[in-house]
Amino acid sequence: MDFFNNEIALFSHVYLILILGYAILLMSSYLILAHLSVRELREYLKKNSFVDYNVLLTSEFAPGLSLIAPAYNESFTIEENVKSLLSLNYNNYEVIVVNDGSKDNSMEILIKTYDLVQTERHIHPQIETKKIKSLYVSRNAAYRKLIVVDKENGGKADALNVGLNIAQNPYVVCIDVDCILDKDSLLKLAKPFLESHGKRIIATGGVVRIANQCIIKNGRLVEVNIPDLMLPRIQVLEYLRAFLLGRMAWGRLDGLLLISGAFGAFDKEIALLAGGYNTKTVGEDMELVVRMRRYMLENKMPYSVHYIPDPLCWTEAPEDFKIFRKQRSRWMRGTIETLSFHKRMFLNPKYKVLGMLSVPYWALFEFLAPGIEFAGIAITIVFIILGLLNWHFFLLLVLFVYFFAVMFSVIALYSEERTYHKYPKQTDFFKLLLAAFIEPLYFHPLSVYAALVGYKEKIRGTKGWGDMTRKGFTKKE
Amino acid sequence: MEKVWEFYKGGAWVEYFLIVSTVLFIVVAFILYLMIVRSRNSNIRKEKLTIEYTILIEKILFALIFEDTSLAALKENQDFSRLIEDGFFREVLTESVISLHKNYEGIYARKLEQFYKESGLIQDSFKKLRNPNWEIKCKGITEVAEMNITRVFSSILTVSKAQNKTLKITALNACIKLGGVKGITHLTEHPYPIDDWTQVNIISAFKKHDIGDTEGVEFLLESQNTTVVALGLKLIRELKLTQKLPYVAELAARTHNTIIQYEAQNVLKTLNA
Repeated sequence: MDFFNNEIALFSHVYLILILGYAILLMSSYLILAHLSVRELREYLKKNSFVDYNVLLTSEFAPGLSLIAPAYNESFTIEENVKSLLSLNYNNYEVIVVNDGSKDNSMEILIKTYDLVQTERHIHPQIETKKIKSLYVSRNAAYRKLIVVDKENGGKADALNVGLNIAQNPYVVCIDVDCILDKDSLLKLAKPFLESHGKRIIATGGVVRIANQCIIKNGRLVEVNIPDLMLPRIQVLEYLRAFLLGRMAWGRLDGLLLISGAFGAFDKEIALLAGGYNTKTVGEDMELVVRMRRYMLENKMPYSVHYIPDPLCWTEAPEDFKIFRKQRSRWMRGTIETLSFHKRMFLNPKYKVLGMLSVPYWALFEFLAPGIEFAGIAITIVFIILGLLNWHFFLLLVLFVYFFAVMFSVIALYSEERTYHKYPKQTDFFKLLLAAFIEPLYFHPLSVYAALVGYKEKIRGTKGWGDMTRKGFTKKE
Repeated sequence: MEKVWEFYKGGAWVEYFLIVSTVLFIVVAFILYLMIVRSRNSNIRKEKLTIEYTILIEKILFALIFEDTSLAALKENQDFSRLIEDGFFREVLTESVISLHKNYEGIYARKLEQFYKESGLIQDSFKKLRNPNWEIKCKGITEVAEMNITRVFSSILTVSKAQNKTLKITALNACIKLGGVKGITHLTEHPYPIDDWTQVNIISAFKKHDIGDTEGVEFLLESQNTTVVALGLKLIRELKLTQKLPYVAELAARTHNTIIQYEAQNVLKTLNA
């Protein structure tokens, strides 16, 4: 019996040390990334204060962009959203709206609003996609930038591939049609493509922020607000952390794996050579970036991926748990699928920072973290039942993790305050501060649960996105 | 070593580590919170002051431009004579003068330039120019260039050879405004590639400042640096310098670089059309 007790005690000791070690590793990586991000952000803002984007607006040397906006059952918002895409500050661009076999009247609305007529265009598809039913252009010269593709339903990746096949410009900007873009977003996104120093810029991405309860007028964001509901409010904080304290650092390390599907620009030629979007994953945005980078590395072509910290794109976050769970479980499936497709990159020096740092980081802290956390909770419950839990130590560990999470959120708030200062209202600041205290107790367990659902769905072979009902933005009359 | 092992085995370090770390996190979070509050208060104070100063500055500049009031007379205004010594007021004043100067030409612009010199704001800009910090230097360059201070042309030209790209672009813009083509002819000897962004900025500066005298643009076509040649071709095309076409034709005939040759032929085709 003594032997058994000793074994249990040893196991308990090792387990707690392992959990602590993992937590310290995770926290250290967060802090290192935050430090790098803040340095990079400061440098960017200093430089950016002297940049005149109008030189691109008036220049015929501005890179040609093709905006690809896949739409599926977007009849409530499509008219206004397309209008806002057509009125961005940029001269050299076209807008390709791909109606992915919507079951609603999106197509009828588009045809009527934009005076569309069918057109014949000879397309040489470089990527195989579902069948295109028709191609439309507008009779109205004011909408000459617009091309609408009506195709059979094939999912977001397939719709984006159709856009890639049709795009006439050298760079494609893939966006979610329901996102609100900053008026100058294309100017900012295009600039890095002109700045290559012997390296080909294959992709640029911008920051996505949460627009729930913000006020939108004519497809433009006119007032930034913090949501009253706790779930979207915490997502504001979460996005601030991820974009201000994480991705900037990965950009600096040249190890960025993900450019948000909501808003990112790609070198069309490389995207096509790499094979376009993968229709077999729900994480097609991340997968494409990884594949394009892999293509460049395998072909020994010098390249770079740029990341712009300016808030260029505003999106609606899920407000109820059901939608949130679907979104996060899908993100987890996407992560698993991408890491699985590119598993040979894992700790492979051939893939440089990507193989030695980015992929292992994603595997250890994005893919495995919810599983490790769940295992921790399960073992803790077993210990409680067996009466083996060292409550004193457990409480200290919980406080250690809790206050780290709070501190990290406050770092994000401080970075936001000293940089973009998008939430100037005192009430908004306190709302976010309150969210920082509540998040570890309320939001984090939900995220872990949703990620575990993602594991389960992956094991069961669930495919597709599921319905992502959106509430729509608050509009100013 | 044994003691360290015993300490580790005893497990007391874990408790110590967790307590110290947790307290540290709380303290850091609290300090950051105080810093946010301070930053917000400072922003609010600055905004209030800016509004307050702007009212006075608008009155002063209106009197200066439209009522021909001299600086000496302006200094009789107690608020102005007191605030002109204040660094932040001078900063707001400089910004107002610069932004107003962008909108005016002729006599009004000259009055503003005169005020900029006599009030000593120019000395602030010179100080910025001498500052080793690149972003402060950039600010100084922008200010003197906007106010047409041509005597700093040569020192800005030196800055335009800097490695820092933002500083380089700002200085080149200023050189073009102050010296026209003279501001970029040194690029013929430029050892490194000039990226498209810098080129777009140079072309835009020529258009924006409406540089009429383009004597010397053709020298860019003689550079060994192909990006400089490409810039020369783009300038000729964008500014529609048909008088430079013989140089372009000569370049197209002599170059072995196929891209340059193609671009030169394109320029010939476009401008001859």
